[in-house]
Amino acid sequence: MFDLIVFLVLLTTGYIFGQWLERSHYRSIRKREEDLRSIPVIASKRLPDELCPCHTRMVVGNVVISIDFFKKFLASLRYLIGGRVSSYESLIDRARREAILRMKQQAKLAGANYVFNVKMETSSISKGRRETIGSVEVLAYGTAIIPANN
Amino acid sequence: MEYSNPELPEHINVSKQHPLKDLFVLGLGFIVCIIFAVTGLSLIAERLAVYIPFSLEQELTSKFIEPTVSNIEVESYLQALADELITHMDIPDSMSITVHYVDDDMANAFATLGGHIFIYRGLLALLPHENSLAMVISHEIAHIQHRHPIMAMGRAVIIGLLFASLSGLSANLIIDDVINSTGMITMLSFNRGQERQSDKTALHAIAAYYGHVSGAADLFHVLLNIKNRHTVSTPQFLSTHPLSKERIDKLTQYTADNGWQADQAVQQLPDFIGKL
Repeated sequence: MFDLIVFLVLLTTGYIFGQWLERSHYRSIRKREEDLRSIPVIASKRLPDELCPCHTRMVVGNVVISIDFFKKFLASLRYLIGGRVSSYESLIDRARREAILRMKQQAKLAGANYVFNVKMETSSISKGRRETIGSVEVLAYGTAIIPANN
Repeated sequence: MEYSNPELPEHINVSKQHPLKDLFVLGLGFIVCIIFAVTGLSLIAERLAVYIPFSLEQELTSKFIEPTVSNIEVESYLQALADELITHMDIPDSMSITVHYVDDDMANAFATLGGHIFIYRGLLALLPHENSLAMVISHEIAHIQHRHPIMAMGRAVIIGLLFASLSGLSANLIIDDVINSTGMITMLSFNRGQERQSDKTALHAIAAYYGHVSGAADLFHVLLNIKNRHTVSTPQFLSTHPLSKERIDKLTQYTADNGWQADQAVQQLPDFIGKL
């Protein structure tokens, strides 16, 4: 009985705080994406001729986001039958967009107007171990293009 | 070449499904599966448990039930009555019945693994005559005869194992826990069908022993009265049993069907029982 109460408290806390944090994170992501829209990120390796002459430097954005108890429980229920783990989709989406934003932030500080050859790495901090906090790391990196006259 | 990062719609990478709806659907499905698994496993366990030899039951309980005698006079009287009743019941030779007297106010009696029957002082004090006590004892013996305690344990163990493996505990550690917590000594719950079966078997024993079934139904009148007096704390003997009123009706019907007499003189209890 006691275990059940603890579980329900954790589930409710996880849901309330998790959802609240997620909503405010999305608000912040959308706002900053708008602010940094002037610096496009491009996956291509090849630099078009019209952007030269230029300086280049590496820019990196990195973020670690933890899941909450509610998301974890929902995913564990999903684990029994399979299907889209929708509770993790928003988590990965937030991490990816946040990593790119942090990378863009660096590019902006460097005075760049483009980031080329953007790549991303995703890794799980907990590596599926039990009794640990599940969290995801996303690393975004690319080559910032700074016009030569800057 | 023109490069830009336009704003993309939000719902492409993230499902629009509300998480609570997801939880509700998955949770409900999970609970339904558990109910099916529990019901199915219980049925299988009950079917198979009767094949566990009685000697194994005795071996299991020998560790838990200590041979302490709280009142030698009462206990030997109860045992003698049980032994008399057994001769009129279909008990295999390999089965042994041991009656224990518990010096406690609770109006309760139960049968458990290994042929052990526990009768509480609280219940003895309420019984009006020996015939009603014989009904209690033969009812509990009938549980043992029909292997109800091992069925209940089989069910409890298999369900315990199911939940333990679901919560992902290591199997070695839990076996002992499961067996201990699912009631080696404690009252094992029997279902209504098992109670009815035991009632009928008990009536046969009473009819064979006394030549009539007078006073047997008085036990249930007594239980009905306790229930009315303490509505909050129902004694355990009642809680898992069919309602006494319904039971009395069934017993009366069964008595009539078998042509047993129910208006004969009843046997009085010995004095030392009345003094408890």
